[in-house]
Amino acid sequence: MRKQFIIGTVAAIAVALFPAVSSSPAMADDAAFATCTDLASCGGMDALIKAAQAEGSLNITTVLRNWADYGDAIDTFQAAFGIHINDDNPDGSSAYEINSIKTAPEASAPDVVDIGASHIQDAMTGSKTGGSIFAPYKVATWNDIPALWKDPAGYWFGNYAGQIVIGYDAKLKVHPTKVKDLLNPVFKKVVGIAGDPTGAQEALMTVFAASVANGGSLDNVQKGADFFHQLKTIGNLSGANADSTHIATGNPKVWFDWSFNALGTQQAGQQIGKTFYYVKPSDAGILGTPYIFGISATAPHPAAARLWVEYMMSENKGHLAKDLAGDEATNVASGTLDGAKLFGQLMGGQNIFTLGGAIPIEQVAMEKKKLLVPSPSSIFQPNPAADKLTLQQPSVAQQASATSLLKMAWPKI
Amino acid sequence: MSHTPVSRAPVHNVGGSVRAFKKFSFLGIDRTFLGIVPFLALIGYFFFYPIAVVFNRSIHDSHNHLSISTYKALFSGDYRAAFIGSFELAAYSMAISAVIGAAICVALVKTNGNTKRVISAIAGVLTSTGGIPLAFSFIASFGQEGLVTKALLNIFHWDIYAGAFDIYNFWGILLVYCFFQAPLMVIIFTPAVENLKVEWQEANETLGGSRLQFIRHITIPVLFPAFLSSCLLLFASGFSAYATAAAMSNGTIPLVPLVIGNLVDGNVIAGEANQGDALAMGMIFVSIIVFAFYAVVLRIARKK
Repeated sequence: MRKQFIIGTVAAIAVALFPAVSSSPAMADDAAFATCTDLASCGGMDALIKAAQAEGSLNITTVLRNWADYGDAIDTFQAAFGIHINDDNPDGSSAYEINSIKTAPEASAPDVVDIGASHIQDAMTGSKTGGSIFAPYKVATWNDIPALWKDPAGYWFGNYAGQIVIGYDAKLKVHPTKVKDLLNPVFKKVVGIAGDPTGAQEALMTVFAASVANGGSLDNVQKGADFFHQLKTIGNLSGANADSTHIATGNPKVWFDWSFNALGTQQAGQQIGKTFYYVKPSDAGILGTPYIFGISATAPHPAAARLWVEYMMSENKGHLAKDLAGDEATNVASGTLDGAKLFGQLMGGQNIFTLGGAIPIEQVAMEKKKLLVPSPSSIFQPNPAADKLTLQQPSVAQQASATSLLKMAWPKI
Repeated sequence: MSHTPVSRAPVHNVGGSVRAFKKFSFLGIDRTFLGIVPFLALIGYFFFYPIAVVFNRSIHDSHNHLSISTYKALFSGDYRAAFIGSFELAAYSMAISAVIGAAICVALVKTNGNTKRVISAIAGVLTSTGGIPLAFSFIASFGQEGLVTKALLNIFHWDIYAGAFDIYNFWGILLVYCFFQAPLMVIIFTPAVENLKVEWQEANETLGGSRLQFIRHITIPVLFPAFLSSCLLLFASGFSAYATAAAMSNGTIPLVPLVIGNLVDGNVIAGEANQGDALAMGMIFVSIIVFAFYAVVLRIARKK
C-alpha cells in the first residue's frame, strides 16, 4: 500500500509537470488538405476556401503588423474569408519559428512560417526523421517566382525582400544620401544598426551595404566591418539597437533599416510628434535575400495554411479590407463570391508587400503583366543617383561566409 | 524534530508518532525523505533535466554525431572574448555594488525601524526591476532625449553628451547593472550587519578598546565571510543577466548570454544551437565554481 502511494504520488507529479497530450483536432475529411500539393490536388480554390473556413482559424508566428505592411494583409484575409488569424510572438526569430513547428503543442503550433533564407537548410533537415518540417505546396503563381528562390519540389518559396535604406530624424541639419555620409562628425553617437549582424538579418545586410559602399564586395565584407570600426572610432556609432522603440527615444537619429519598415516607423513617429525621413543610399544598392514561406507538415489548419500562402502570393490589384466600399464590400462580406472572383476583388499579398515598401518576389512577372501597384512615393526622399543603381543580392553562401567573418570581427569593431 | 516539552500530553503523542513514522522505510530510505519528494521532482524537472538536455546537445554536432569541437571553440576568438566581457562586467558590477550596498547596510543599522523598512522595500523593488524596465527607465532618464539629460541641458546648460558619457557602451551598461546589484547587496548583507551585537561594542569600550580596534578586530572578521559570500552571489547575478544587456546593446559589447541568444534564437545563424549549448555549459561551469566558493565561505563563516 505504501508503495502504491509512492507510485501514485510520482504519477500525479508527472501528470502535473508534463504537458497534457491533446487529442488531434483535425477532422477526417480535412486530412486530404494536409497532403495536397497545389490548387488542383486540393480540389480547386472554392473547395480550399470552404475547408479553410471549416477550420476557422490560422496560426501564424513572428509577424509584426508594421513589418512589410503585414497588418493590412492580416486584416484583408480575415475580412474576406472570415478566418481568424492568431499571431504568436510577433518579436520572435526565425530559429523560434522553426522550433515552434517542432515542439509547440499541436493546437498552438504555427501553420505557416516566414523565415530568413539562412534557415532553409535547418528546416529541410529538421524533422524527427531528418526530413523537411515543411509540406510541399506550389501556389497558383508558382511560375512567377524566380527559380533561385523556390524549392523544385515546392517545400519552400520566397515571398518578398527588402532593400537596405537609411532612416533619419527630419530635424537633423545634415540629411544623408549615401552610406559614407554617416562618417560626418555631426552624427556623433547617433548612427544606428539594427542589432548584431550575427543575430539579425537586417544588420547583416547592412554590413553588406557598408562593404559595397566602401569598395568591398558581397564575397568579402571585411570593408563593411572596417566601416563600422571607423564609425565607432570617430564616435559616431550608437550602441543603441536601431529598432522602432529606440528610434522613438531619440537615439539613434540616423539608422540603417529595411525599406519595408520605413512606412511603419514613419507612422509610429507621427504618433509621438516626430518626422522620420528615409532615403535609398546612392553608394550601395543591397537587396536582402528574400524571406521564405514554408507550410508546416504538421499544421493544425492545413487548408487555411494553403489558402494563406495562395493569398500572400497572389498578384491582384484589388482593395485592402479598409478600402473596400459599396457593392464590393457587400459582395465580399456576403461570402457568396466564388474563389476566383473574391481574389479579384482583393489587393493581392504581393501588392500589399509593395505598398509596405518591400520588393515582392514576383515583381518582374507582375511588371510584365502590368499588375504591380506603384510603391508609395512618399516613403522615400528623392535620390536619383540611388534609383540608377542595379540592386545586388547576397546569396545564402555569401551570407554564410559573411557571418563567419563577422563572428570574429564584430565584437572587435 | 524538536523535543522541547511544551506540555505533557502532546509530548507523548509527538514522540509516539515519530517512532511510528520511523518504522516505515522504502528501499532502506528513511520515510522522512517523502517530504522533500515534490521539491526534488520540481528541481529535477526544471533544473537538472534542462541541464542534462543542454549538455547532451552540446556534445552532438548538427548531424547528431558525438563531438567536442564546440568546447574547443570556447577557448578562442569571439567566444573567449564573450567570456572575458561577461567576466569583466560581472566583476566590476560586483565590486562597485558590494561596496555601495555594504555601506548602505552599515548606515541603516543605526537608523530607526521605519527608515530601515522603507529602504529595504525600495531595495526589494529595485532588485526585481532589472531587465528591460530598468534599461528603459535609464534610457528615458539619461538617454540623448531623456528627462534628466534635457533638464541638465535646459536648466544648467550642461550637455552631458558633449563629452565621453554614453549609456550605450560598456560603462553605461555597468552603471545600469549596479542599479539592480547594489539593492541586491543591501538585501542579502543586511542580516549579517544586524547580527553585530551592541553588547560587543559595549564590551569593547569597557575593555578600553578604540573605535578603530572595534572595526579591525570585531566588525571586519565577523562580517568578512558574509561580505565575501554576498559578493559571490552578486558576481553570479551579473554574470548571467541577459535582458538588460540585450535591451542596451547591438552586439559590439561581447557578452556570453547575448552570444548564446544569437546562436539559439537568431535570424542569421542556423544549425549551431549546439555551440550555444556549449557556451551555456561554460556558464554553468563558472556558476558551479562560484557556488562552490560560496559554500566554502558559508561553512567557514558558520564555524566561527
